[in-house]
Amino acid sequence: MTESNGNRPPDVAQAVVTRKKTFSIIWVVPLVALIIGGILAIKAVREKGPMVTISFKTADGLVAGKTKIKYKDVDVGEVRNIRISEDLSHVLVEAEIRPEGEKYLTEETLFWVVRARIAAGEVSGLGTLFSGAFIGIEPGRKGNSARRFEGLETPPILTTGQPGAQFSLTSERLGSLSVGSPVYFRQIKVGQVIEYDLDPGGDHINFTIFINAPHHLRVQKNTRFWNASGIDFTANAQGIKVNTESLVTVLEGGIAFDTPASLQEGGPPAKDQVFTLYPDRDSTHELTYSQKTYYLLHFTDSVRGLVPGAPVEFRGIKVGEVADIKLQFDRDKLEFLIPVLIFIEPERIQVMGQQVFDEKARLQVLVRRGLRAQLKTGNLVTGSSFVELDFHPDASPAEIVRNGDYPELPTIPPPFGEIAQSLSRILKKIEKLPLEEISRGLEDTLVRLNDNLDESRIMLGGINREVLPELTSAIREIESTMEEINASYGTDSKINYALGNTLTELGRAARAARVLADYLERHPEALIQGKGGPQP
Amino acid sequence: MTGARTAATAGLIGCKTCHLLCRVTVPVQGRRAPYCPRCGALLRRRKENSLARTWALIIAAGLLYLPANLIPITRSTSLGSVHEDTIMSGVIYFVKTGSWFVALVIFVASILVPLLKLIILTFLLISVQRGWKWRPRDRALLYRITEGIGRWSMIDIFVITITVALVKLGALADIQAMPGGIFFGAVVVLTMLAAEAFDPRLIWDAMEENHD
Repeated sequence: MTESNGNRPPDVAQAVVTRKKTFSIIWVVPLVALIIGGILAIKAVREKGPMVTISFKTADGLVAGKTKIKYKDVDVGEVRNIRISEDLSHVLVEAEIRPEGEKYLTEETLFWVVRARIAAGEVSGLGTLFSGAFIGIEPGRKGNSARRFEGLETPPILTTGQPGAQFSLTSERLGSLSVGSPVYFRQIKVGQVIEYDLDPGGDHINFTIFINAPHHLRVQKNTRFWNASGIDFTANAQGIKVNTESLVTVLEGGIAFDTPASLQEGGPPAKDQVFTLYPDRDSTHELTYSQKTYYLLHFTDSVRGLVPGAPVEFRGIKVGEVADIKLQFDRDKLEFLIPVLIFIEPERIQVMGQQVFDEKARLQVLVRRGLRAQLKTGNLVTGSSFVELDFHPDASPAEIVRNGDYPELPTIPPPFGEIAQSLSRILKKIEKLPLEEISRGLEDTLVRLNDNLDESRIMLGGINREVLPELTSAIREIESTMEEINASYGTDSKINYALGNTLTELGRAARAARVLADYLERHPEALIQGKGGPQP
Repeated sequence: MTGARTAATAGLIGCKTCHLLCRVTVPVQGRRAPYCPRCGALLRRRKENSLARTWALIIAAGLLYLPANLIPITRSTSLGSVHEDTIMSGVIYFVKTGSWFVALVIFVASILVPLLKLIILTFLLISVQRGWKWRPRDRALLYRITEGIGRWSMIDIFVITITVALVKLGALADIQAMPGGIFFGAVVVLTMLAAEAFDPRLIWDAMEENHD
């Protein structure tokens, strides 16, 4: 602002000469700073991702402002704050997720803490020994948006984006399996257990396993899974055999599967097919069937040797098992009843033909044709019994009775039952014999006999003294008499000769009698018809 | 300052470059301007547009001071654990680990000094614009302090550049510079320029105007 100061006449307006006020270039600097600051501020606001709250049992290894949330080892967020829940039962971790991750925060999103984990067959997260734990995240792709999450205590087995397939197994026992247990196919690890939980009913355990591609194609409809945990130890005459899938399975369990050659049809499994997890390899040969039809049997005889699990056979082929045996007492009739519950697995029976019956009608027809249940002894040594189903066309007619929950199949007594009955009748008679009286009488008799013997001894003493001298003289007389007899009936006597002839005759007669007897034996009809026909 | 003649009142201008005292008789008009007969530098009675320039630079520095302190300046990786440090978190880290002296140096050089410069310059600018006559000597001292300590703030930038260059141990330890350092450097440079743009003689001008 320079001002010119002149002495010009006042009538002419004096132009004011000033330097043009220009916008100073220096103001660009704060403008640039403002723009940069503004951009940064906008960026910071836009990068401010959603805050999530994750609850964990412990905050071990987690540091506010430091612990990262990682997906596939890429930072996608950071822990901002860690506090303890109001009821002091767990910790709440507040974390900021990058804004691009917002759409993946759904109900299905999983969070877990990655720490160094050393388990049999698996060492993971060693990097966290030095760098500290971090939180792993598995983005949820479905479900409603969520901001509060329940953190997992152990890392889940992640299968999203991994080629392969999941399968459902069911087993009665968990064995030593756990999440992450390997799945083997011919001793090659091809997958792992993703999760397991108890069935709502509590009577079995459901497993979900994941099998990596391309091995998932090896799972067929008739594939058998078995628990490969532990050591299979067999000792027999050939020696000792130890069998195991791998050392890892000995330590932490595992599942193996195979598709045995069988009559069952193969092909890809149904989508919701649930496979049975057998307790060991051997038991996979024995099929179990999901479908079971229950029947009630009433036996009147002893069911000794029949236990739940005993087989139900049809002409020697196992078709089911005994489920339960009870003893009932009917107070009205004052009778004991032994209801035996059996189940038949219809899948065991290959069905042919086209005719469609409903099950009840079919059974009715079969019973009319003589289908009966019978108790049989399976093993004479152990006395174990089984239930045999067969057709007995001559059995007394019976009908299916539906009593309570289960239809009742008619039974017939066991084949040995009748023999046993007659045996028992004989035994009863023997029992009825007055054995005690008999023995008492016998005793009396013996005592009396003893007395008699004593008497006879006394008598013999008397005889000795009195009779013997007379006897001696009598013997002498006999001797002389014998001499006379000898003279008249001696070797060369007449009588002797006649006796010899008589004896020879007698011998002949006896031979003839034997021949006749033999003939009669062969031709008993000769007694009636006579010895007519010529000898053959 | 009370009654003494000044170069301005005597129509003299000291060359800023070679400090030759020149007499300027022709009024400065338009594009015509006086030049130093010895070194040829442009002669100016006062720094041109001093207040506006200083204001602009101060505002720019003030604006950049925020990101300089909020954005991390380094990212250090040690054994897989990554963490980013702003200037203040670095200070806190040193305090926590017991290195009080280092913490103090960084705090003074990197946080206190730039802030002081911004505040002092703003104060001086306001005081000059308002024509305050309050303690001109102290204000001149403040200005000299501002001018003198300004460059020391760069110590942080030097530390970053040296450690980034030296700590390159691959997976074991690694330090990377982050954009916060750029903003911080810009703040330091801008405040230095602002201090340079400010003409301390304006402080005395106010005294003289009053005196006239």
